Amino acid sequence: MSKRKPYVRSMDGWWKKNPFFVEYVIHESTALFVLAYAVTLLVGLIRLGQGEAAWNGWLAALQSPGALVFHLALLVAIAYHAYTWFKIMPITLPPIRVGGEKLSPCAIITGGLVAAAVASLGLIVLVWRIAA
Amino acid sequence: MNIYKADVVIVGGGGSGLRAAIAVAQSDPSLKIALVSKVYPMRSHTVSAEGGAAGVKRDDDNYDLHFHDTVGGGDWLCEQDVVEYFVQQAPIELTQLEHWGCPWSRTPEGKVNVRPFGGMKIERTWFAADKSGFHILHTLFQTSIQFPSIKRFDEHFCVDILEEDGRCQGIVAVEMATGEFTMIQGKSVIVATGGAGRIFRESTLGGIVTGDTQGAVFRHGVALRDMEFVQYHPTCMPITGLLFTEACRGEGGYLVNKDGYRYLQDYGLGPIGDKPKNKYMELGPRDRLSQSFYFEMQKGRVFEDPVLGKHVHLDLRHLGKERLHERLPLICEMAETFLGIDPATQPIPVRPAVHYTMGGIATDNKCETTLRGLYAIGECSNVGLHGANRLGSNSLTELVVFGKLAGDEAAKTAKSVGFGNTDSLHKQAEAIEKRVTAFKAQTGGKERVATIRKEMVQTMEDGCGIYRVHDTMQTTCDKLAELRERFKNVELDDKSSVWNTDWLTAIELDYQLDVAQAIAYSAINRKESRGAHQRLDGYEQRDDVNFLKHSDAFYVQGALPRIQYADVKITKSQPAARVYGAAGEKADAERKASHV
Amino acid sequence: MSEQKFIEIEVLRYKPESDEAPHSEVYKVPFTDDMSVLQGAQYIKDNFDGSLTYRWSCRMAICGSCGMMINGVPKLSCETFIRDYYPNRITIEALAHFPIEKDLVVDLSGFIEKLESVQPYIIPAEKRSLDQGEYIQTPAQVQDYMQFTSCINCTLCYAACPQFGLNPDFIGPGAMALLHRYNMDSRDGGAEQRMELVASEEGVFNCSAVGYCSEVCPKHVDPANAVNINKTNAAKDYFLRFLSPKGGAK
Repeated sequence: MSKRKPYVRSMDGWWKKNPFFVEYVIHESTALFVLAYAVTLLVGLIRLGQGEAAWNGWLAALQSPGALVFHLALLVAIAYHAYTWFKIMPITLPPIRVGGEKLSPCAIITGGLVAAAVASLGLIVLVWRIAA
Repeated sequence: MNIYKADVVIVGGGGSGLRAAIAVAQSDPSLKIALVSKVYPMRSHTVSAEGGAAGVKRDDDNYDLHFHDTVGGGDWLCEQDVVEYFVQQAPIELTQLEHWGCPWSRTPEGKVNVRPFGGMKIERTWFAADKSGFHILHTLFQTSIQFPSIKRFDEHFCVDILEEDGRCQGIVAVEMATGEFTMIQGKSVIVATGGAGRIFRESTLGGIVTGDTQGAVFRHGVALRDMEFVQYHPTCMPITGLLFTEACRGEGGYLVNKDGYRYLQDYGLGPIGDKPKNKYMELGPRDRLSQSFYFEMQKGRVFEDPVLGKHVHLDLRHLGKERLHERLPLICEMAETFLGIDPATQPIPVRPAVHYTMGGIATDNKCETTLRGLYAIGECSNVGLHGANRLGSNSLTELVVFGKLAGDEAAKTAKSVGFGNTDSLHKQAEAIEKRVTAFKAQTGGKERVATIRKEMVQTMEDGCGIYRVHDTMQTTCDKLAELRERFKNVELDDKSSVWNTDWLTAIELDYQLDVAQAIAYSAINRKESRGAHQRLDGYEQRDDVNFLKHSDAFYVQGALPRIQYADVKITKSQPAARVYGAAGEKADAERKASHV
Repeated sequence: MSEQKFIEIEVLRYKPESDEAPHSEVYKVPFTDDMSVLQGAQYIKDNFDGSLTYRWSCRMAICGSCGMMINGVPKLSCETFIRDYYPNRITIEALAHFPIEKDLVVDLSGFIEKLESVQPYIIPAEKRSLDQGEYIQTPAQVQDYMQFTSCINCTLCYAACPQFGLNPDFIGPGAMALLHRYNMDSRDGGAEQRMELVASEEGVFNCSAVGYCSEVCPKHVDPANAVNINKTNAAKDYFLRFLSPKGGAK
């Protein structure tokens, strides 16, 4: 009879055991904020389908102080989500070679963030123009 | 006790053991192979080899040149037929590793690249950055996985070999995870367990390089050959002994003393050229470089530091950051981690430490010992390749060349004989189990394994260091006898079964004390200076009349080892003065002229 | 001489033959600035308690034996220095997510099985005899896989991977890096054979890109990259199979 008795440690609360995991759980949970905004837009779409009055009601609701605070929170969370999304991009991409040299993780992250910022600004300007 | 039967049993899962296993598997897939290792194979000490593996590669190189470098480097104590076989097989085996995926460094055209190494006249060291051993080991281990006939016994500790009717017929192993014994019966057995360098205090070696299986074989009447030849590597980290590869010098590094002076020029290795030149200065052989350090120390020309002790500097700064990171990444990493030094901007403190045991289990030129059916390969063996001093990068090649040879030979043997009597072997195995289990039962003694080990490694360093004299060697011999006695009073802290490393180190130490005696007595009896065995007590010269011979140590139960001498096989290189630098070049020219 | 410094080392001990569960023991160890945490453990074994059990060998961070959790972080104890923690206490524990065999020794048999399952050997794209010499492989082709050859199988990445902790069947970062190493080698033609495992239940889709494995890797192998590139490869393979004439049948 073998005298082995391997001890298996519990995984309960694993995400609290390491700051790296805590951050991981936070940035993953910011996806819920993306979901929340998608739901908000979906509600808008439904209200649009219900006629002009419903649509105007939805627009009015968006301008309430509560909705503004809610959107501000969404903006912060989604910005953080975007940042962390780009931060893990180097581990998800195959190596990118420029002139034989492998692109550094830092260059990939910076490139991604800059591209996201430019695209967001472009979109804002575009919407602004249409609205004007 | 569990019983397992295999056609070929291999003890040791490092480079040579794995190569042998693959050779057996390829020679006949129906042969069952048991590969026993006290660590997972990729932990084996082959992993730590840095520099590379020697094999003729360039158009301006040939087998003869590699032969002469090796025989001269070994101070003519090499078996020359063995060296001839070795240099011819080397490129084939290294190419085989390439086919199996070894990531050798390449030329821009995509061919395998070679680098210079100490004591080698032409660049012929195949390398995988400065992790050559690591890559060779992992390549071999991973390659071995595809052969279903190789049954591994990982983390199984071999406690003894089994012998009956004048043949080796298997081994007894302890499964470390359970403490249970297994008898592995075999038709042939290959021992590939690595060197014994951990018998010394300051060494480059991993904790597993204990030499205990050599001790087990020794007790079965097989000679340990040329054990007095212990290689001190000249460039090691002070205190820890960690190795800075010879490739540092191959790439052009300098050794300087506290005055910033390249002192090797004072010891027959000069003159300094404008470029690194093979067999000159820092590219001289290891024994000479370590000996030069000793004399610099005597002259008070080395650095002294309260923490690091006495050392010299290995200066790589002139190589530039880029080349250092491409060719010597591990060295940069180690210097940074362990010493907080960037080799691109600061010199590295180094000193000699024990690195390799040239001696080992005596075998014939087919790797078979005098106990039929028992083969030995790699650092644990002495097939006669390295003589009195090993040249850097010959040992990695040795693993694959002789691993292949022993595998083929053991396979042939296994096919020509049947299994022995399992019952009587089992009785033997049970007696072995009883003997080694008794260590756990010993109580009342006041000795600790760690204490005896510490005293052993210290006395070996004192008596069998770079330079040796009779009196200190005698003190070492006396001390070893005392430790042998005191070992009887060891009481273990751990008496359990699962993962009992306290017990396993006691079994190791028991064997190590025997091997230490073989080293010390071989050394005190060799009254000359040759290669890595250098004396300062009236025997400063090489004495070919009396000592152009192998020393064979034989175990005598309860008494001192018996030392006998055996002839050296000479085929085409008569002993000559062993010279390097400008004198070496002159000698080469004369040798060539005399051949015309 | 400066005064002797002492460090407190708290070890999670577990003796399977007498303990129901692991418990902590604290040792006060004299140290010098060049001492690694491994040397601290060795000091305890040699001087206080010979039953303390851990794996170790090379002392130079290449054999991969001596990984442990040091203050909660998976590290090689041979290249982690006591001075960096002084005067605080150091806690050491067996690598996370693996069953503990005894003290700091974990059961690695599962990892070894995974390593064997990835077919970690050259399956030649084109057979070549030894007479023909080496395969030609340019330095750029070597660079494609070299990083993934650096894995020392220390399993720190497994101790860093919560998905492995939650599902011990996950093939995991280290073994995937090895699989990827062979797929990326110009001499190898076995990628297709290895794909089944990549896309399997135990395969890459267990990974949720935590990325801590690459963070703790002592050899900068970036196993997370190997896993995630193979997610893309597996997805590509899945869709391309429907486009192939055989319509995805094997």
